[in-house]
Amino acid sequence: MILRAAVGLVYAFLLLPMVIVVLAAFNAGNYFTFPPQGFSLKWFANFFHRREFMQALWLSTELGFWTAAISTVIGTAASVVLVRGRFRGRDALNAFVTSPLLLPQILTGVALLQFYTLLKMQASYAALLIGHVVVTTPYVIRTVTATLTHFDLALEEAAQSLGAHPLRAFFEVTLGVIKPGVVAGAIFAFAISFDNFTLSLFLTSSKLTPLPIELFAYLKYSFDPTAAAVSAFAIGVALVLVLGIARFMGLEEFTGF
Amino acid sequence: MGRVARVLLLGPYVLLLAVFFAIPLVLMLAISLSRQSYGQMEWTFTLQHYAHFFTDAYYLGVLGDTLWLGALTTAASLLLGYPLAYHLALTRSRWKPLLIVFILSPLLVGIVIRCYGWMILLADRGLINETLVQRGWIAKPLPLMYNKFGVTVALVHVFLPFMVLSLTGVLKRIEPQLIEASQTLGASPRRAFFEVTLPLSLPGVLAGSLLVFSLAISSFVVPILVGGFKVHVLPMVVYEQVLSVFDWPFGAANALVLLAISVALIGVYIKVTERALRGIV
Repeated sequence: MILRAAVGLVYAFLLLPMVIVVLAAFNAGNYFTFPPQGFSLKWFANFFHRREFMQALWLSTELGFWTAAISTVIGTAASVVLVRGRFRGRDALNAFVTSPLLLPQILTGVALLQFYTLLKMQASYAALLIGHVVVTTPYVIRTVTATLTHFDLALEEAAQSLGAHPLRAFFEVTLGVIKPGVVAGAIFAFAISFDNFTLSLFLTSSKLTPLPIELFAYLKYSFDPTAAAVSAFAIGVALVLVLGIARFMGLEEFTGF
Repeated sequence: MGRVARVLLLGPYVLLLAVFFAIPLVLMLAISLSRQSYGQMEWTFTLQHYAHFFTDAYYLGVLGDTLWLGALTTAASLLLGYPLAYHLALTRSRWKPLLIVFILSPLLVGIVIRCYGWMILLADRGLINETLVQRGWIAKPLPLMYNKFGVTVALVHVFLPFMVLSLTGVLKRIEPQLIEASQTLGASPRRAFFEVTLPLSLPGVLAGSLLVFSLAISSFVVPILVGGFKVHVLPMVVYEQVLSVFDWPFGAANALVLLAISVALIGVYIKVTERALRGIV
């Protein structure tokens, strides 16, 4: 009973800031007080009318899409080798490909900024996209690896013994079976990219600002609930993406429990 | 799988990582050992930036504060996360997927947004203070934000999911029969927990703590937004040196200090999780 109450309180703590942001976004007043001062959509209207927010939203969406596409392809390909390949140095390689996940992103950000500046390619779209792919691909690898390990290799061998070319066997049998993991990985990669702040901060310029950076810049100077509307919108996007992962892969499988 | 196929499949990502991850990190090391004059790099070998860092009381203080905040965050996450993970590992509730969404969704909501939520709550004219003042319970706002308290609260919120995920993984693998056996042998549920479950979950505790600590000491969004530049931590110094002062070598040296701490922690973390996965718990 005490455990249940404690658990309930911790869940409340986890959800509280997000619930507050969403309530503030629909609240009419400039400051969020309790009880709320009435329902209003004016902060959303302000969000959708501000050019800089719309441009940032579009950039983040496009960037997330390309990041997800690229990291899913190269991440899935890498997973196949990492799960099935039997060769020397596989463990070391495994650690190497997932290392961007473990290293604090501020370090990756600083290192990439200095590297790009010396190459004179800082603050370009390509530089930003590559940075995002570097940090999202390990997530794809982890997700796809989880589904690939359950895959029964006999299925692919059966297809080959029935005359299918190894490539055809892979695309028609294996990919079909591991599709949930691949799709969940792609959605997760999009989500990570769409919300990425730390890495983007080092790789953007005033002409190239994804939504989280635009929101951060806005919050530094003003406190009005337009920021809440932007945040509530992003929370909505995150919820849709979580539901997508749940639908394709199942959350227990995705988190490993 | 043939050699050619392996290279074709693994090659693109490994090459990408080598060029856009490994080389930049090596370059950052080289920059931290070089000089910069009038914005131009001079490729030399000097340890002066590290000497500067480790002899200046300000930077040592910042390092101390960073580690202290990391330790506080880790302890609080463990305290809050353990009951949550324990419940999640054992529950047969049909609401379990929803509970997982609750734990995961903060992870998928951007860090700026989560900080903003805490700012609405903790500011001087924020929800908590405004409510307390209006009711006449306090005369002037409590200092909840722009200090270590607010930063710790937000850091715990940001990194708690990582603790819960680490703990749940280990708690779920503990055989229920072990606990039943201890209870059949006369142990109270409390004693069974403290003498069976808790010791068996220690690898998860250690792994989760290392992960949260290493994430917390490298966070700078929380100190900037919730700390309002008033709580100084190492990643913020890195950010300022690189993006405002443009002192690259010193910024890189600061980053390398942070990197050294992280790599040491990650090394222990990998050892711990490997052992836990092999079942030698």
